[in-house]
Amino acid sequence: MTEATSQTLLASLPASFDTGPDWLRTLRGRAAATLREQGLPTKRTEAWRFTPVRSLVDSEFSRDDEGVPALVSGVPEGVTVRGLTEVLESQPELLQGRLDLGGAPTHFAALNTALFRDGLWIDVPAGAVVEAPIEISHTSPTSSEPGVVYPRVLITAGEGAELTLIETYAGGRAAQLSNSVVEVELGRNAKMNHVRVHENAGLQIGRVDVRQDADSGYRSTVVTLGGALLRFDVRCLLQGKGAECQLDGAYLTDGDDHVDHHTLVEHQAPHCRSGQTYRGIVSGKSTAVFDGVVIVHRDAQKTEAHQENRNLLLSDTATIHTKPHLEIDADDVICSHGATVGALDEDQLFYLRARGVPEDFALAMLTYAFVESIVDRMSHEPTRARMREALLSRIPHGDEIREVT
Amino acid sequence: MLKIEDLHVEVDGKPILKGINLDIEAGQVHAIMGPNGSGKSTLAYALAGREGYEVTKGSVLYKGQDLLEMAPELRAAEGVFLGFQYPVAIPGVSNIYFLKAALNAIRKHRGEDPLDAIDFMKLSKQKAALVQLPDELTKRSVNDGFSGGEKKRNEIYQMAMLEPSLAVLDETDSGLDIDALKVVAQGVNGLRGPDRALLVITHYQRLLDYIVPDVVHVLINGQIVRTGDKDLAKRLEKEGYSEVRDATQL
Repeated sequence: MTEATSQTLLASLPASFDTGPDWLRTLRGRAAATLREQGLPTKRTEAWRFTPVRSLVDSEFSRDDEGVPALVSGVPEGVTVRGLTEVLESQPELLQGRLDLGGAPTHFAALNTALFRDGLWIDVPAGAVVEAPIEISHTSPTSSEPGVVYPRVLITAGEGAELTLIETYAGGRAAQLSNSVVEVELGRNAKMNHVRVHENAGLQIGRVDVRQDADSGYRSTVVTLGGALLRFDVRCLLQGKGAECQLDGAYLTDGDDHVDHHTLVEHQAPHCRSGQTYRGIVSGKSTAVFDGVVIVHRDAQKTEAHQENRNLLLSDTATIHTKPHLEIDADDVICSHGATVGALDEDQLFYLRARGVPEDFALAMLTYAFVESIVDRMSHEPTRARMREALLSRIPHGDEIREVT
Repeated sequence: MLKIEDLHVEVDGKPILKGINLDIEAGQVHAIMGPNGSGKSTLAYALAGREGYEVTKGSVLYKGQDLLEMAPELRAAEGVFLGFQYPVAIPGVSNIYFLKAALNAIRKHRGEDPLDAIDFMKLSKQKAALVQLPDELTKRSVNDGFSGGEKKRNEIYQMAMLEPSLAVLDETDSGLDIDALKVVAQGVNGLRGPDRALLVITHYQRLLDYIVPDVVHVLINGQIVRTGDKDLAKRLEKEGYSEVRDATQL
């Protein structure tokens, strides 16, 4: 399956796009043109300032077809899951106007748009309330040569539809790159719970792009357990009145990990609400980045937006960059944001010790509690249980905590 | 049980306790009364081993051992308990799980086997009932969203679970209405015994109607200025601390 040639990411862009419907060829052509013009981001690109992408941009990868996301659960009643290629061949009109991330994609999202071969389209029609979660898993290439995959997922939920999506990005070899795009379109009053796990991800560039119509609700809980180089961007466009989104995340880094979480919420319509809570535990020589932006457009009156990033720095050699950021053009809004980087609470630590819990165990309990509160928000019990277990296996004294919980 | 000699404690370089002497025997209940800022909580924290409470002079012997040398958790393991004036909330750490960790660490220190889950739950139910703490609260995050009264009952519930030899109760009565006070006092009295000692710190005499002390000390400006029996507390209630302050020229 793997093509023999190894190329840099930009060099792998073809001169022209000859297959698929016209609109897709145009879309891909534009993405490629943008890339040729702007290139991939560098350290001088503001939004990529802290992400060491140079090694990705300079490296050669062979294209790998193994990266098509796999459906690991059954297809719950009321849901249609189809392969993108199959739809593009048989009913391309269904996808026309989609797959463009609501505009002109740039950088890695443009690269995915130009080069993805297949993917999944998950459609929940209007009125379908689907309780059973849909689970998909992404695996990085298994080849021993550096390879790249371009996973692509499109979720469409009609008016009043409800779904839960569980996505797992499983570890690959360090030199294997996954550059994924997940697009979500939520119709009026549609609700989506999105649980996403990055587990020992090798090289991961991931983008989630959500467009929300009136009164829709999107809830994302992301857990990142390490990563050689992980960059995750989630963008929510609150386009209809009364839409809500809640973006939560927890990250644990150690060793030489570099883990980057970026959020962008755009309040384009009035009476929308957004919340963000990201928490990280940063150890070893690792680096964690949180960059969160909330933009409130002029017409988005009665906006409520909250953003919080808290970090525990557990070693002197670890680094955290945190940048919560608000841009508000409306005047009738309630907004808050904050970031902390620190150690554990001394009062809490003393309380536990004064009752007899040994210091290192008390520290471990508080560390676990700090991120477990995010895991606790996951809407899918089996994933929640698995994540708790994963946290315990990564936190000192996890075994003892497991014994008492 | 506890012998404090000429104890001087500084916080942030400021002397707070200026030569405390106290001798508490097993089976006794001592009360320390004093106005705000007299050093009552400092004494409690110093006995529990809180960081930042620097002992500059003096000694504290607990069951013949140097208490000041011990880490807070070791003091707990040796049977010292501090009931906090302001119990801290710890979201994400369940009351009962942390208490199980504490109790089993203490049992291990005593050379006892850990309690299994069933025995532990049985014990917890029994002790929670003692202070009328709803079972549901024992399972919630430590003090998270608890009312003032619930926090204090939680302190006494934990004390009952850990069965300390020496309990230091720092203003356990503050923020309690009379009914809650009675419940808490009843819980405390249930733990009195010939092998145990209590040091009850309070601003008001009211608590001492329910937890009757053997000895009452008055702490003013970092020193014990009066020591007497339970009637001293009553007199203090009537006359106020200023009388004592004037009489002792402090």
